[in-house]
Amino acid sequence: MASMIEIRNVTKEFKVLNRREGLKGSLKDLFSRDYKTVRAVDNISMSIEPGEIVGYLGPNGAGKSTTIKMMTGVLEPTTGEILVDGNIPYANRTKNAENIGVVFGQRSQLWWALPLIESFRLLKDIYQISDADYDGMLKLYRSLVDIEPLLHKPVRQMSLGQRTLSDILAAFLHDPKIVFLDEPTIGLDVSMKAKIRTLIHALNKEKNTTVILTTHDMGDVDALCRRIVIIDKGKMLYDNDMEHLKGFFGNYRTLKVRAEGDLKAAAEKISAEVPEFPVNADEEWVSILVDESKSGVMDVLGRIQSRFSIKDMQLEEISTEEVIKKIYEEGVS
Amino acid sequence: MKKRGLGFYLRIYFRILAQDLKSKMSYRADFIISTIGMIFTNISGFVSFWILFRNFPSINGWGYYEILFLYGFSLVSLTPVQCLFDNNWSLRMYVYSGDFIKYCFRPINLFFYYQSEVFDIKGLGQLAFGIGTIVYSWGRIGLELTPLMLIKLIVFLITASLIMIALQNMAAALCFWMQNSFFVLDFVYRFRDYAKYPVTIFSPVFRFIFTFIMPIAFIAYYPSLVILRPGEVPILSWLSPLMGCLFFFLSYKIWMYGAMKYSGTGS
Repeated sequence: MASMIEIRNVTKEFKVLNRREGLKGSLKDLFSRDYKTVRAVDNISMSIEPGEIVGYLGPNGAGKSTTIKMMTGVLEPTTGEILVDGNIPYANRTKNAENIGVVFGQRSQLWWALPLIESFRLLKDIYQISDADYDGMLKLYRSLVDIEPLLHKPVRQMSLGQRTLSDILAAFLHDPKIVFLDEPTIGLDVSMKAKIRTLIHALNKEKNTTVILTTHDMGDVDALCRRIVIIDKGKMLYDNDMEHLKGFFGNYRTLKVRAEGDLKAAAEKISAEVPEFPVNADEEWVSILVDESKSGVMDVLGRIQSRFSIKDMQLEEISTEEVIKKIYEEGVS
Repeated sequence: MKKRGLGFYLRIYFRILAQDLKSKMSYRADFIISTIGMIFTNISGFVSFWILFRNFPSINGWGYYEILFLYGFSLVSLTPVQCLFDNNWSLRMYVYSGDFIKYCFRPINLFFYYQSEVFDIKGLGQLAFGIGTIVYSWGRIGLELTPLMLIKLIVFLITASLIMIALQNMAAALCFWMQNSFFVLDFVYRFRDYAKYPVTIFSPVFRFIFTFIMPIAFIAYYPSLVILRPGEVPILSWLSPLMGCLFFFLSYKIWMYGAMKYSGTGS
């Protein structure tokens, strides 16, 4: 099957004026030709299959938005090639727009003054959705979320959560092949986040829509994505399954034990016992970060238990958040 | 690709318009107050005009009713820009905040999509007032009412509107290149006040500026000549419908060029 999105060696550079300070500086800037080139996206390649949900991650300013803007046709790549469902987005902006849906977490694309149902009807006209498809979609929406209270409410009067939900529904309305979600859960409460994740998951399942999700919330990633792509400073750091991610830095797990007596002292003794792993102590627990490629957790526990009496223990998987943080901070070695 | 012709765009426009009016009327107090405000704006505009011309019964050979006709003509020709293209005033804010990007993802014409969002109902009062003024002065001057005259009137009204719209489009589009383009837009807006006077009352320098650089003389003066003084129409007047179309097209191209090169702020 052909890829839904094909990105080959894409680079995007911006020319930025070197601005000078002060009033005199800004007067000089008016006539300045002193540009520097900033490379926002640096030689990225990836190919995304139909129906995938891909988490597109990276710290602020990594180049995520720039990549999305290139895929949606707002920006033209400096070099390299992008094909979205066989189209060059920048060259065929209108054609590309029919195939995609876009949601920006904080910028509603709905008509501010209109009730949601009127926005839907306008979108039906704009995308020329047939009556049957439109009714089918609304029926699906009704089965997934409680939209009745939203339909007759002007978007302006909605809470942020309701608005985001509405924006997502609007983005899927014309049954696009790809939906770009840019931080859809930003600023939402826990239950609304869960609701939105369930909705995205269900729509992806039902319509086999390809979803590109950028987020800083690892909960979104854990709930939705099987594949993640990480970029930083415009360069691709990682592109693989979620399962691979955790094994990426060795199989880390955190073993927490509670020993008799002073924990600080216990921690030192334990550290002497298992010198290959870092040991930390807080008020309640002594934690040992075990790299399972070196020795198993049970082995470590056995070694400690043979010297100390352990009152209690806990085993923690390393979280996606910690792995991502590690990649952001240390890069891929 | 699906076909989207004129019918398609008209249908979308009227659908947005109907919804917009409905939602505006749901704020009853706001609606009533802005209607009253609109009436008073027009009355005060007319009163200051009347005070001025009570003291000068004729300006540079132009009689009171002729000037009144010019005044009405400019009111009507400024209506489309006020009603249909009012969102140009907000363009700067959308571009500055990065919100403009939300208009870039629809499979319809970007310029249309952006302008269709706002319809300024206040302009309709101005339209009614302008038509009233034209009809009144028409009778007083004693112009004859033939189909040819009517066609001339309509063609030149459209011409004048196109020129004003074009001026505003270009001024608004500057924000795609400049940080603070408001003063340009405001400048253009203020200059249109001069449109209601015969351009011959200005010094040659301003006459040149208003004809070739900021062509506001085309908003009322040159088109009105065709109706009021068919004998002394300069060739420029007959060319103005063509210039109007050309000028509008050019402004549309500039606007779109700016919008296409717009890349938004980071998010």
